[in-house]
Amino acid sequence: MITRWERSVPVHDVPIWTRPFKVLVAIGALALGFTLWRELAGLGPATGLNDAYAWGIWKTFNVMVLTGLGSGGFSIGIAAWLFRREKLHVVMRTALLTSFLAYLSGLTLLAVDVGRPWNMYWLLMPWKWNFHSPLLEVAFCMPMYALLPLLLENVPPVLERVHATKPQYRELVEKAEKIMVRFYPYVVGLAYVLPAMHQSSLGALMLLGGHKVHALWQTPMLPLLYVWAAAFMGFSCVAGTLLFCTLVWNRKFDIEVLTEMNRITAWLIGSWMLVRMVDLIARGHFLTSLSLDIFAGLFWTEMLFLGVALFMLLDSSKHYDAKLMFYAHTVAAVGGMLYRFNPTTLAFQPRPGAFYFPSVIELLISIGYVSIAVAAFAYLAKVLAILPATNRDWFEMERAQKDRELQGSKAPAVGTPDYATGNSFTD
Amino acid sequence: MEISRRAALTKIATGTAAVVATGVAGSVALSGVASADEMKQAPANAVSMLYDTTRCVGCKSCVAACAQENKMERDKRDPLYLAPVDLNSFSKNIIKLYKPSETGVYSYVKAQCMHCVDPACVAGCTFHGLSKDAKTGVVTWTSSLCIGCRYCEISCPYGVPKFQWEGYNPKIVKCEFCKPRLEAGKDPACTSVCPTHAVIFGKRDQLLAEAKKRIAEHPDKYFENRVFGEQEGGGTQVLYLSHVPFEKIGLPNIGTESIPSKYLKWQKRLYQYLAVPVVLYASIVGVVRGNFKHHQEHMKREEEKTGLRAQL
Repeated sequence: MITRWERSVPVHDVPIWTRPFKVLVAIGALALGFTLWRELAGLGPATGLNDAYAWGIWKTFNVMVLTGLGSGGFSIGIAAWLFRREKLHVVMRTALLTSFLAYLSGLTLLAVDVGRPWNMYWLLMPWKWNFHSPLLEVAFCMPMYALLPLLLENVPPVLERVHATKPQYRELVEKAEKIMVRFYPYVVGLAYVLPAMHQSSLGALMLLGGHKVHALWQTPMLPLLYVWAAAFMGFSCVAGTLLFCTLVWNRKFDIEVLTEMNRITAWLIGSWMLVRMVDLIARGHFLTSLSLDIFAGLFWTEMLFLGVALFMLLDSSKHYDAKLMFYAHTVAAVGGMLYRFNPTTLAFQPRPGAFYFPSVIELLISIGYVSIAVAAFAYLAKVLAILPATNRDWFEMERAQKDRELQGSKAPAVGTPDYATGNSFTD
Repeated sequence: MEISRRAALTKIATGTAAVVATGVAGSVALSGVASADEMKQAPANAVSMLYDTTRCVGCKSCVAACAQENKMERDKRDPLYLAPVDLNSFSKNIIKLYKPSETGVYSYVKAQCMHCVDPACVAGCTFHGLSKDAKTGVVTWTSSLCIGCRYCEISCPYGVPKFQWEGYNPKIVKCEFCKPRLEAGKDPACTSVCPTHAVIFGKRDQLLAEAKKRIAEHPDKYFENRVFGEQEGGGTQVLYLSHVPFEKIGLPNIGTESIPSKYLKWQKRLYQYLAVPVVLYASIVGVVRGNFKHHQEHMKREEEKTGLRAQL
């Protein structure tokens, strides 16, 4: 029987404190501890950074690469709300949550990375801004997006839970929901303009790197290629997350929705590769890509990943296989990540002989902040209705709750509020 | 849901209007910035240094004078006093040696901030933590405006700004042309002590003329008979004459256009008056409002059918 995703349903009857979850939290906690030490000791002792490679993985990976992956709320939202891909509405909550967590984790680490964070308050005073700085655009636009439209877009699942578990607030929640609906199009508008601005500005950052960025990457098209890459990376990240959750939590998947996502991702990747090649040829650097050096190698690695992803995406839809589709989106995401990582680090040559490799603590903090985001997602998917499922799944969840109630279990599993009756177990 | 003919026409009309409006706003923004695109010129009274490799004997008096004047901390990693391999957060001015072989031509070279006419570091700096003085053209750092993002280190083509990697209160370190001395009517420390006048201080126009005079007097002495900094990277206020190729002594060949005007052209246009983002926002909201209404109606019908609350 074909499954059709109809609504978001919490992952129920699964314990929260599983072993992988504990590991993620432990790494996260360790990272937070080391963060404190970094603030006191300075960037030098904590990282492998130096004056030639002044930007390390906290900026180039956690911010510039991972917010690309966190662009699902942006790109899938545009497809759903602007281009009326109605099927995609059901995955929007997953997209918005992955985006929010990716941005929050990246922005926090950005604040750890800057040397004089106490001066960030100038962000609130536009007359102190350097309007032409791409970095200002990023520094203002990113938090603005994460803390305004993206946060607001993530409020409905929370309201829904409050509605179901706290009858005394029901009226208030309904009022809030009405206001939300009224202003939703205006919020959504911001949620697409702001990321279009800062995701392209992330590319514009490297423009000022001038000749230090290798010619295969340094192009006036950097902003366009960056925001475009964010578009397909967002799709791949959300599709990958959905498929991973399907496999791990043994949920059913909707082949129609995923086929649609595969197709759009494939189109985005194909057109991106075309623009990349045309730009390369137009700038007269196609032959540079054929020279036998590490940079040409990196370039073709990117292209290979994306080319293979393109094929796998189109092919995997036919096989009705969640694993295959998951691999396809992983390959696509890695290709995009490589592209966004290369001009900042691997293809960035400040001067001959300069070298950077992240220190152990730097790596640990970087992984730790990602772990926190992943753990938060796993937790929230169990507490809130995020992941898509069928209406039938919802009824099954309710029946399981009723059964548990009848058996007289006192402590209900977190994440399984009684959505049907609205009665809280804690009453 | 059937879309009525009238609704469809309205939609097409609004869509077209949005595209046209974006186009108009875009072209207004483009024309508005055209004037700002002109090459930036050095201020009339731009202070300047001229360094001549053929006159430098590598005595490092300038290095010592600089360290003394700027009260630089001692670099504990440096076993010899004041002998760093490269500029770092303990040294704003150093003398390096270029010696490709034991017997061939060699050269000393002085390294410090070039005080570009249109500096990339200033263009990228978020809150004007690095700023260029409108009168003297000196590029200085202000601690209260710097967030320590190190974008200046990424953007400087000469690798000049340095960051203090140790401690909780790091600063950006670079030559600031001995600004307090200039204000007191004195020359910068390095030029005032140079025994061979390899580095001299003056107004940019004067020093350019001086450099060209030296080239005219000795047509075969200097590399390409060129003054580095007259046009390179949009012009710099520290000028170089060299008997070895400039690239060999750390002065990269980056063309005559300044980095900001070369690379940020389109970025500036896109954000001029915020016209493009605002029109884009308005058009998106226009389209989404229609689609949202349609979606809400669909959700309501589903709610009635299944008895489950609609989800946004």
